[in-house]
Amino acid sequence: MPSGFAIQTRDLGVRYSLRFTKKTSIRRSFARLLKRNRGEKSFWALRGLSITVAPGESVGIIGPNGAGKSTLLQVLAGIIMPSEGIVEVNGHVSTLLHLQAGFDQELSGRENIMLAGALMGIDHKVMEERQESIVDFADIGAFIDAPLRTYSSGMRAKLGFSIATAVDPDILLLDEVLQTGDEAFREKSHQRIADVLGAAKAVVLVSHDMSWITEFCNRAILLERGSIVADGKPDEVVATHMEHSEHRKQKYREVLEGMRSGRIAVRGRPKQLVREAERTGRQIPAIAPEDEREPLARP
Amino acid sequence: MQIATEAPSSFRSSAVRPGALGLIREALAETFGRRRLIRHLISADIRRKGSDTLLGNVWWVLDPLLQMTVYLILLSVILRRSTPDFPLFLFAAILPWKWFASSINDAVSSVVRQERLIKQVQFPKVVLPVSAVAAEVLNLAFGFVIVLLMLAVFFPAHATINVLWLPVIAAVQFVFTLGLALLVSAINVFYRDVGILSGHLIRLWFFLSPAIWSFDSSAGRFGAIEEALGEAGVSLLRANPFAVLLTAYRDVIYGRVNEAGDGFTPGQSPDLIALGMLLLLSIGLLILGTIIFKRLEPAFAKVL
Repeated sequence: MPSGFAIQTRDLGVRYSLRFTKKTSIRRSFARLLKRNRGEKSFWALRGLSITVAPGESVGIIGPNGAGKSTLLQVLAGIIMPSEGIVEVNGHVSTLLHLQAGFDQELSGRENIMLAGALMGIDHKVMEERQESIVDFADIGAFIDAPLRTYSSGMRAKLGFSIATAVDPDILLLDEVLQTGDEAFREKSHQRIADVLGAAKAVVLVSHDMSWITEFCNRAILLERGSIVADGKPDEVVATHMEHSEHRKQKYREVLEGMRSGRIAVRGRPKQLVREAERTGRQIPAIAPEDEREPLARP
Repeated sequence: MQIATEAPSSFRSSAVRPGALGLIREALAETFGRRRLIRHLISADIRRKGSDTLLGNVWWVLDPLLQMTVYLILLSVILRRSTPDFPLFLFAAILPWKWFASSINDAVSSVVRQERLIKQVQFPKVVLPVSAVAAEVLNLAFGFVIVLLMLAVFFPAHATINVLWLPVIAAVQFVFTLGLALLVSAINVFYRDVGILSGHLIRLWFFLSPAIWSFDSSAGRFGAIEEALGEAGVSLLRANPFAVLLTAYRDVIYGRVNEAGDGFTPGQSPDLIALGMLLLLSIGLLILGTIIFKRLEPAFAKVL
């Protein structure tokens, strides 16, 4: 690696358009054209992110749901292009995002190994060399030559894990997908992950399991609403995260309480209300003073 | 350790996208650099189609033959049309049409179908429509074998050396199909309507193309269309890319029906000027399709 970093982002921003989603149709687009400017058209999943990961660092990304953790991994993997700013990655990236994503039902286990290799852009010869060790690790017997549709979900998971961890990358991006297979395989895979993590030059790991962060990482970043809130030693950042999420839970409870007693005049799920309020920076329409309160009709 | 890769490993991505020329260069590099991936996808595709039916890949050959039979019955028995050697007349056009229709049909959903993959692995998405279209080439190759067999066994009077033009005509059609495939597969990500609509549009297109009729003879078959559409309509029909393609296929395989509609002249060379112009148009379409596909590509992972 020539320069002094493994990953660098500068002022990285990712914007999602709300115009197009999986379910847009021409009809909806026309409808939207007619009532222009109504509602938000886009939102920033990440904004103004500048992170430098040095070789040898193992960074844990934590944060509440919807903070942009997975989006960040997708950008670092090159799956999503930034809407603003720059991402630079020095070295071969492997994601363990995709345990089973590339599988084809009709191909055999062996053929799927080669297909996965081709998808990841790994040289055919290298993949041929590794095929045996992947087959050994997956340990699914004669099924390796049968079409994938005959596999149990456990077998699929084992094969997926074996392929994903067989390529030793310079930079490893991990989303929490690691709990697979039966008890014995899980133990074996835990060891394998530790090995792969040790071998990679840099690691970025997203997890809700704080023990993973403190066990495997030497740096942690707390993301909230698409920006960095804390960055530093895993213990400290995890502590901050716990504090924040405790605070959020407290808020939920308050809102829930408020709804029950009728002090909150809006309907909705408490979690959503709190998240919405956090995102927009507005107060939840009132935890109104006692004397003005108007009990909601209970459904 | 440094592992050998078929794709560049280090990368730098930013909001700035290359211009039109850069996009085309990128698409070319991706298609050729990842040909092994394309090959894997093609073989998976062929396997998938072969495995869920009893007759498997025999359907490649049976399908256009059966379709020919349907039109044969419809036109010659019910509508009492008599064209000399009608089966060959029909098959010469239905086979390439079938190739086009199923290529587009597969390509439309090629990107959308790989939703999970696109969101989880970084790979050039061009390989998806490219492999969908390329997988169908085998289809056509088998069909051509049938054509040659038909010529040799049943219709030797039509056979001439001009059959050798077939790969050339097919190549022009391939370029046209690929361009259109890139276009529709990308747009279908944003508007799923395209997938539904395309099936119907293709069926309409079939009847507007000289597949079950031809421009040649005035005896009953083209005359009615001419009357219904008028001069302007007919020249519009002639401008249709598939008017050029299907006529060319029929010229080299079947030949031409004579004016009276009761005889034929055997296989002859195609209209090379029309084919050449269509090739230019197809290359233009391919360039346009590539640019639009590459422009939209970064948004795929977000929209799906």
